[in-house]
Amino acid sequence: MSALRWLAAFAVLAALPFFLGSYYNDVYRKLLLWITLALGYNFLFGICGQIAFSHFAFYGVGAYSIVIFLFQLELPFPLAILLGVALCALVALAVAIPSTRLEGFYLALATLALAQLFIVVLNEGGAVTGGTGGLANYRLPEVFGVRIAGPWYTVVIVTLLLGTLAVLLRLDRSWFGRACRAVRDNPQAAAAMGVDVARTKVVAFTLTSALAGIAGMVYAFVDNTVNPPIFGLDNAFLILFMVIVGGAGRHAGAVVGAILLFLLPFFLSPLIGHHHVLVFGLLVVAAMLVQPRGLIGIYDALRRRLA
Amino acid sequence: MRDFLELSISAAASGCVYGLVALAYLLMIRPTGIINFAVGEWAMVAAFGGYLLLSKLEWPYPLGMAAVLGFMFLVGWATERIAVRPLVERGAPLLAPILALLGMLVVFREIVSVSFPPDPHPVPYPFGLGRLELGPVGGSYQSFFIIAVTLVVFLAVWLFFERTVAGKSFEAVAIHRRAAALMGINLSRVTALSFAGGAGAAGLAGLLVSPNISAHYLMGVPLAIQGFTALVIGGVGRVEGALLGGLLLAFAEQMTTRYAPIPSGYAQGVPLLLLMIFLLLRPTGLLRSRVAKA
Repeated sequence: MSALRWLAAFAVLAALPFFLGSYYNDVYRKLLLWITLALGYNFLFGICGQIAFSHFAFYGVGAYSIVIFLFQLELPFPLAILLGVALCALVALAVAIPSTRLEGFYLALATLALAQLFIVVLNEGGAVTGGTGGLANYRLPEVFGVRIAGPWYTVVIVTLLLGTLAVLLRLDRSWFGRACRAVRDNPQAAAAMGVDVARTKVVAFTLTSALAGIAGMVYAFVDNTVNPPIFGLDNAFLILFMVIVGGAGRHAGAVVGAILLFLLPFFLSPLIGHHHVLVFGLLVVAAMLVQPRGLIGIYDALRRRLA
Repeated sequence: MRDFLELSISAAASGCVYGLVALAYLLMIRPTGIINFAVGEWAMVAAFGGYLLLSKLEWPYPLGMAAVLGFMFLVGWATERIAVRPLVERGAPLLAPILALLGMLVVFREIVSVSFPPDPHPVPYPFGLGRLELGPVGGSYQSFFIIAVTLVVFLAVWLFFERTVAGKSFEAVAIHRRAAALMGINLSRVTALSFAGGAGAAGLAGLLVSPNISAHYLMGVPLAIQGFTALVIGGVGRVEGALLGGLLLAFAEQMTTRYAPIPSGYAQGVPLLLLMIFLLLRPTGLLRSRVAKA
């Protein structure tokens, strides 16, 4: 039954792009990528209780690394993917291990500095990163002799989304997922029950960062260009806001939040131009004050009242 | 040598600015445990206040400065009322006010970016652009002004914590919230004051640094990072630590830019590097808090 459900979800999501024009196909692809990112971030923030601002930077590390490995160093495709994931994991470890030595939200600040530094490295990277203009004019190479393009590439993104969700659901229901929730709710109690708090935090951060990196690799061939402004801090905040507004700690919440905050600007921009970020900020403050569980929390409360 | 001394003065000045931002964090973390990421945006708001009053309306500097600081106290107090107190009273976990303050950070930045055009806005120097030479040591008026103001502020804060009953009550709340409340200390007043003071310190940092870098709506985040690095270096336990950490960070940054053969943009990596090193080797910072020793 469960396998059937996954297949049905895949069939619906993957069939949709074949009925969309090229503009809506592009919007659809970005929406799927945002949902993927929000799901990964929800595991780190909502389930493990860690704030990090580097999720989008790792998305960028993935995107840049695959382009650099494939087209500047001309490595074979599978090796480039492996090296990209390894790079994300290494950077994540280097930041997370020192940051978890202290209680409190030191990871948030270290990753804020990391995200800022990443943009500097991209801008100063010269020929390797293409400087402020970034890298462009590359095409997805043929994989096993097949050229994937148009709606078929959207199918790749759908696979990425469902794959990420499957990994996260599996983790969430494992011993590790429960350890993460315990670390979020009460680190002392978790430690007393034999959970290695620091290691759980480091593993959760490294894992979700690597997932963001993989999503970034897929993104690199959506616009066929990577440049510094895409991977800036604004988007790092946006992803946190998506999870908060949707409902932290719930996979459905991450999906709802991502869809809402991604689509909101399309409706708001005729009214208030590009100042929709102000609305996002107000939404977050309101969410924390009124319903910290986000939209999913409101939905739960309504359902309980009706039942 | 001349070059080094010249650099030292400007490094000390930016170190003082970082120290003030670190002090802003510290004033709020100590009694409440809340890391307020919005301190950078507070500095930005004060810089724009400086632009409005001093550049546009051409108020005399002391009057404008006092008005901006008064406004910042109000901003800090209001922020605490809106985004912190309701959550603390409800008994929400510590993460909740931190997230609400992150939302406020974006609100502050967007309000400024909606109200002003996106280009840098000049803020005047209080004593003009001249240079002051004291024997072999020389630097701009502004550098000496920043150092002097910061020293006065830190001395005042130190005296407040060490010599006054009100200051001791802050310390008591930092050590043990519940016990302090049982001793009759008004917790919500301490929290409100710590946020007002934090906004004042952050605003002062923004106002002092703004003539050098101009007011810009994106100036907050770098300041927030540098200030926090300074706090980690100095340690959260002691007020002097904030200043010491700021000075150390600024010297490391400026010496790297001047003497290390790397592109100047990479100097922005120095805070991250120092942050990592200190978290690994000395997570409690350079100065231990008194409480830990006792």
